[in-house]
Amino acid sequence: MTMIPRLLHVALVVVLVIFGGFPVYWMASTALSTNAELYNTGQSAGLQLQNLPSLLSELSKVPLLRWLTNTSIVALGTTVLSLTLGALAGYALSRFRFRGKGIIGFLLFMTQVVPEALILVPLYAMFISLGLLNSLWGLVLANVGFSLPVAAFIIKGAIDAVPYEIEEAAAVDNCPRFGVLTMVILPIIAPSLAAAAIIAFFAGWNEYLFAATFLMDNTMWPASVGLASFIGQYETPLSAVMGAALIFSLPAVVFFLIIQRKIVAGITSGAVKG
Amino acid sequence: MTDISTGAARSLPQRARKSRFSAKAVLPYIFILPPVMYLAVFMFWPLARQIYLSFTKTRLINPSRSQFIGLDNYDRLLASPDFYSALHITVVYSVMAVVLGVALGTIAALALNRPFPGRTIVRAVLLFGWAVPNVAASLVWLWIFNERSGVLNRIVTGLGLDSVPWLTTTHMALPSVLLVTVWQVAPFVMLVMLAALQSVPEEVREAARIDNADKLNIFRAVTLPHVMPTLQLVSLLVAVWSIRRFDIIYLLTGGGPIGSTSTLIVKLRQTAFENHDLGLASAYGVIGLILALSVATIHALFNRHRAKRSMQ
Repeated sequence: MTMIPRLLHVALVVVLVIFGGFPVYWMASTALSTNAELYNTGQSAGLQLQNLPSLLSELSKVPLLRWLTNTSIVALGTTVLSLTLGALAGYALSRFRFRGKGIIGFLLFMTQVVPEALILVPLYAMFISLGLLNSLWGLVLANVGFSLPVAAFIIKGAIDAVPYEIEEAAAVDNCPRFGVLTMVILPIIAPSLAAAAIIAFFAGWNEYLFAATFLMDNTMWPASVGLASFIGQYETPLSAVMGAALIFSLPAVVFFLIIQRKIVAGITSGAVKG
Repeated sequence: MTDISTGAARSLPQRARKSRFSAKAVLPYIFILPPVMYLAVFMFWPLARQIYLSFTKTRLINPSRSQFIGLDNYDRLLASPDFYSALHITVVYSVMAVVLGVALGTIAALALNRPFPGRTIVRAVLLFGWAVPNVAASLVWLWIFNERSGVLNRIVTGLGLDSVPWLTTTHMALPSVLLVTVWQVAPFVMLVMLAALQSVPEEVREAARIDNADKLNIFRAVTLPHVMPTLQLVSLLVAVWSIRRFDIIYLLTGGGPIGSTSTLIVKLRQTAFENHDLGLASAYGVIGLILALSVATIHALFNRHRAKRSMQ
């Protein structure tokens, strides 16, 4: 390889790294700056780790723990329900032939085209009458509509790859079909289940529109709504806001990096993360 | 499948006919019914309600008192400049997101498709935009774009230029929102394209090299056709996501200034929850859905066309 293309390649990679990584770096840098620096003297480009103690004391003014608890409840509920229903759908779509299968597959795909905002108002009306409006469970029910099909696609793809003989052996042993799924198939596809779980979990973790619309009571707020409430509000120091945003982002970044390859595999059978 | 039981049933014709309506035929539905029922209640019923609402006059204050008015909401939509503006912004935003996001993502994938020291770390950093939650991304970009103290304007004024109102003037707001969108979308494109590039069979490229084909020709004749289906799929996904996108746009600009970033979906929420006009809001949403569906349909037709061609 000649010199100039190699230099170009290095330059390109550097530019991409700056564009891709800078906002996250800047979150950390802002979190570790003082208000005076941010608004008057100018933000330092480095990470001032000596400001960590003052950041922690500022963070204690933000109800971050309560928000993250609410977020975790929504995310866990979304995961459990999506995976349970998604495993049933994925197994049926992979192993059975039945009337209506094509339509059901199409409808599952369709959910990924539907904008969240489009079912917002009818869900709002439904939740009023079901008493689910100001509740985290209402959020779970709304989120699962979008993450169940994704889980179903991933699980179907994984089961497709499991040889059928394994199931026949279990059937000879007189294991009922449901037992075959839970005791034979699901353990084999555990890595794909984990990927589906992470995707569903962070769909619930990141969700904003439903949470911002359905929750009135700010003690119920998940972190997405809580953090968004800082926009246009200047009472909370910006460093605390960025610190909270960073803590909120960290689990998502770590887990998405872990499962990135699985997501690529799942993408061919359906849309995964928007 | 369950060979033993069907073998036994075959010898008893009467029981066989019965069993067609019992266990075996019912089994798939026992599995598929719970998820389907769930989606019917929490996805498709609300969707049908919303489409129905677009033919009614309904206020958010009292949604149970709604009145069927046929196509009046769509008449109002087609007569309102707001609608054409929202449609125009949605199309521009989505097309630009696809063009810029897919171009940058593909370039990044090509750059990462050859080994170099630190590639794993670079790859991880390039995925940040895709992994950071929307709300956190909006907060940091709002600060980066901050007119007085943001880092972008510090650079701009440092160069001796006037500071730029990134999100607060009509001609800059959409490009700024697009910049954040590309930051989020390009990593995903890169991830998928990288996988496609790595699945190009090395023997074919080797054969082309032996035939003395130059790099550009190998790319055009071998690599590009191989990754084309993936490129199309990923473009479809980015297009559909852009038509659907709400969080980032709403949190960065709220649809403003003066509606300059109000896509159909942002308009839908505003009309419903600020103007309390559920009928008109639903009409906005239905147009958005039709747009997303047509993109998906065009993609499906493309695929069928290609499948037919490869069979001949």
